Amino acid sequence: MSAVISMAGAGKAFDGRKVLTNVSAEIGAAEFVSVLGPSGCGKSTLLRLIAGLEPFEDGGILFNGEVVQAPSPDMGFVFQTSNLLPWLNVRDNLLLGVDLDPAAKRPDAAALAELVETLGLTGFEDSHPHQLSGGMRHRVAIGQALARGPQVLLMDEPFGALDALTRDRLNMELLRIWQRDRKTVLLVTHSISEAVLLSDRVLVMSERPGTIIEDVRIDLPRPRDPSTTREDPAFGDYVVRLSKLMGVS
Amino acid sequence: MSRWFNRDAAISIAFFAALGLAWEYGVRWSGVQSYLLPPPSAILGELWQSRGPILSQSLVTLTEVFWGFIIAVALGVPIAALIYFSRTAKSTVYPLFVALQSVPKIGLAPLIVVWFGYGLASKLIMAFLFAFFPIIIATLGGLASTPAHLEEHFRALRASPMQSFWRLRVPAALPSFLDGCKVAMPLGVIGAVVGEFVGSNDGLGNLILTASGSGHTTLTFAALIAVTLLSLLLFYGVAYWERFIWWRAA
Repeated sequence: MSAVISMAGAGKAFDGRKVLTNVSAEIGAAEFVSVLGPSGCGKSTLLRLIAGLEPFEDGGILFNGEVVQAPSPDMGFVFQTSNLLPWLNVRDNLLLGVDLDPAAKRPDAAALAELVETLGLTGFEDSHPHQLSGGMRHRVAIGQALARGPQVLLMDEPFGALDALTRDRLNMELLRIWQRDRKTVLLVTHSISEAVLLSDRVLVMSERPGTIIEDVRIDLPRPRDPSTTREDPAFGDYVVRLSKLMGVS
Repeated sequence: MSRWFNRDAAISIAFFAALGLAWEYGVRWSGVQSYLLPPPSAILGELWQSRGPILSQSLVTLTEVFWGFIIAVALGVPIAALIYFSRTAKSTVYPLFVALQSVPKIGLAPLIVVWFGYGLASKLIMAFLFAFFPIIIATLGGLASTPAHLEEHFRALRASPMQSFWRLRVPAALPSFLDGCKVAMPLGVIGAVVGEFVGSNDGLGNLILTASGSGHTTLTFAALIAVTLLSLLLFYGVAYWERFIWWRAA
């Protein structure tokens, strides 16, 4: 299996201070991988390096075998803040990425309706972001990333600012979308249970300067569901193991 | 909701009615000469009697302010964009305008009249001078207030610089720009009136000057009210557009 994203000894420093050092990992097609680490460990920076938003310094980062130098249209991004344009309605926000890229194929009406349906936003196409709840805004942001039909979805703590209930609900929808489309997903999170619930693999990062200290395969049966998967004793074992790795006793 | 609105409106009306009555009867009972301070009833009567000249002079001033403001926007916005995008402009054009802004524009008025004559041009330029700087500052502030995370998002979406400008920075700058226009518009009225004071044969400023010069105090007040109403009208004409920029708080 060829890796979609591969990192070999990648590093990054800001003003001479090492943020990331010697990061190596491979992410395969259709894999759901989480990057888990304490805050300030450089996990968001790592995602930005992979996204091509920030140049890496040491080693190499490849996307489909090519060195990452700039953002690629085959990657979709979902950031911590939902990044919607307040002056555009839901439909136009969903299509923003497509509209900005002359080479992108605009989804037809049926495909757009399906996307809206998948995201549970039917009836809100003409609403503006300030009229939506926080959870809905995040779903629009995810939809915007999906609308371009990317091969990879990069997510930086997309649900970090939401309450637990909304977070569970969005995680479930994310699982549903992933189980249907089987895109490669790289999710940055500091929530251990979220990482275990969603991922095929969890990359555990150290404190700054961050590096990957463990690559944990999560062998829980799919399809998963926030309510039932957490009942699985193996789920608890993974959470304990990852907690220990992160130095949480 | 509507009950509260009625209550507030009632209090407001009662307050201003009381103020007007106090003025009216204060003047009558204290025996102040009406050429010093006329009662409101006399001013309102004058406003009605001289409605012909007041309206035509208002139209003159309105024309001056309107064009002065339009030119201030037409020049101010591109100059603000230039200062925002060019470091050279930021260290040359920007300090130049700050320095020019510091020149008391009232002191410039006689020069402007000497250069551009007694007609529309000199007053239009005065209105422009007063309105210009707030528009530059507000546009500049608006462009600079584009959220950094949205700029990065546009970069991630591989937007071209033109796309980032028109589809992100311009809409993001609109609320601040509109605030600048709300400040600039009444200033433009002041500029035009000052221009009319210094050298003009018509306009409300001229009317104020000639009326007070001939001891016609009620007409002076009537013209002052006309200037105020004109300024309010123009202000709300700008503020009207706020409803199309509902994202200002977002």
